[in-house]
Amino acid sequence: MFGQLRMIITLIMIMGIAGAGMYVFKLRADNATLKANQFKLETAITEQNKVLEQQKADFEAILESNKKLNTLIQTFKKDLDDLDKRFTKKNRDVGKLAIDRTKAVEKVINKGAKNAARCLELASGAEHTEDELKATKKSEINPECPALANPSYVPY
Amino acid sequence: MYHISKILAIALIVFLTGCSIGGEKKIKIFSIEKPRENLNYPMPTALELEQIKWIIITSENAQEVFAKLEAAGIDPVLFGLTDKDFQILAKNFAQIRQKLQETTNLLEEYKKYYETDDENSN
Repeated sequence: MFGQLRMIITLIMIMGIAGAGMYVFKLRADNATLKANQFKLETAITEQNKVLEQQKADFEAILESNKKLNTLIQTFKKDLDDLDKRFTKKNRDVGKLAIDRTKAVEKVINKGAKNAARCLELASGAEHTEDELKATKKSEINPECPALANPSYVPY
Repeated sequence: MYHISKILAIALIVFLTGCSIGGEKKIKIFSIEKPRENLNYPMPTALELEQIKWIIITSENAQEVFAKLEAAGIDPVLFGLTDKDFQILAKNFAQIRQKLQETTNLLEEYKKYYETDDENSN
């Protein structure tokens, strides 16, 4: 009876030590897993921050682009108004002018047509010439599309 | 008694190792990213327009203009516009040019927005 009890106690002790050992190993494994999880979470947070920064940059780029296009559309309106004014300024009648000063008007119209054709070329993506980019005076700039002929031209 | 000790031993093992069953789970993060290929079309070739010559013809200079055309070996025929129609034509051309510029600009903006980062990273 006493021998059996001793055997049971010994067995319990062995089992206890083995269990404790296993528990320690398990804790170590858990610790390693948690460390790995922590690292992954930190990486995920960094990536999320990068995504947020990218989104912010994209948003700013979209705003900038919209602003640019709106400015362009405003320029278009102004160019059309200017063209209209050139035909109708001070009750001007182009027809009568052409009868009175045929050669002079013909010259003006041909020059205007040449400028307008150049504007079409520029609008389709043609490279600016040096003269166009250097133009700062009214007499130098292409009057059909000043903003397009020289984007840095300041009208006066 | 022997059976009781066996049961006790097994129960003890289960009791002590029970916590290790279903321990911490590992996180798995999958990130599969396959960006779309860029179109990489070159920008359309710019226009190179030929020059045209406008001739103003009035009742007074008509004969002179036709005589000059004949002398230059050009058929004495002109396709005419009134002054009002000429103004409309000029405005129409201005609008076409603006639309062309707007479209080219949009294309450039799209290209810049969607392709700049890829070009930098390449």
